[in-house]
Amino acid sequence: MAEQIPILKSAAERETFFIGLYKKAFPAVARYINRMGGTFDQAQDVFQDALVIYYEKVQASAGNIRVSEKAYLLGIAKHLWSQAYKAGSKNQPLQDTDLPAETEEQLSTHKLMHYLETAGQKCMELLKAYYYDHLPVADVATLFGYTGIRSATVAKYKCLEKVRDKVKQNSLSYADFVE
Amino acid sequence: MRTSLNNIQAIEDHLFGYNAPGDALVFEARMILSSSLRDDVQQQQNTYAVINQYSRKQLKAEIAAVQQKLTTEPAHQGFMQRIINLFKK
Repeated sequence: MAEQIPILKSAAERETFFIGLYKKAFPAVARYINRMGGTFDQAQDVFQDALVIYYEKVQASAGNIRVSEKAYLLGIAKHLWSQAYKAGSKNQPLQDTDLPAETEEQLSTHKLMHYLETAGQKCMELLKAYYYDHLPVADVATLFGYTGIRSATVAKYKCLEKVRDKVKQNSLSYADFVE
Repeated sequence: MRTSLNNIQAIEDHLFGYNAPGDALVFEARMILSSSLRDDVQQQQNTYAVINQYSRKQLKAEIAAVQQKLTTEPAHQGFMQRIINLFKK
């Protein structure tokens, strides 16, 4: 059955959304991975990555997505399974940047991420709300306590400038972040 | 907004394809003429990739927390246990 999903605006809304998806689709995904000879841990990894992909699609569509969630997640999971495990390749979940031997550039990427997760966290959360969660600017203003759309927009560009300067300092190449 | 922020906005409009065709041509011409603008555009593109990487990491942590909740909270334990049992057969 096709369902319309509203834009998710807060961590609490996302939690409810993900719990619902686990209940709806994880049993079918786990049965599939089990049939394919996979383990419970692998089923969990595949399902987590499928949820990330689905979330990104839902948020980018600004609430205009209408799909059967269970069928969609099972489809993504099957694809992820065939990509990551079927060919006997190494388990490489989305976002895995932990490679055995780190080059200088990789160390620099980790250093930058660590900085952004600590000192730059407030800015990164604001930028995440705009560019990753795709929240409307009015919602971002409310969520982050700005008086209006204009001040929230100025704050976004200030943060973008701050992070861009940091990225520049680290002289990272785009390829470091492309998955 | 101060000039540097206006420049950031102009680069964003260029990268996300928000410019009207005429403005896009003007921006591309400016890029040809200015190596520092080209550099800023490149760094801003890197920045969006960094934001995406950071955001995915945060989201994955939220999902992992949900999974933990489903595994440990009494209200959900039966659900997760049924799935774990699938793999014991």
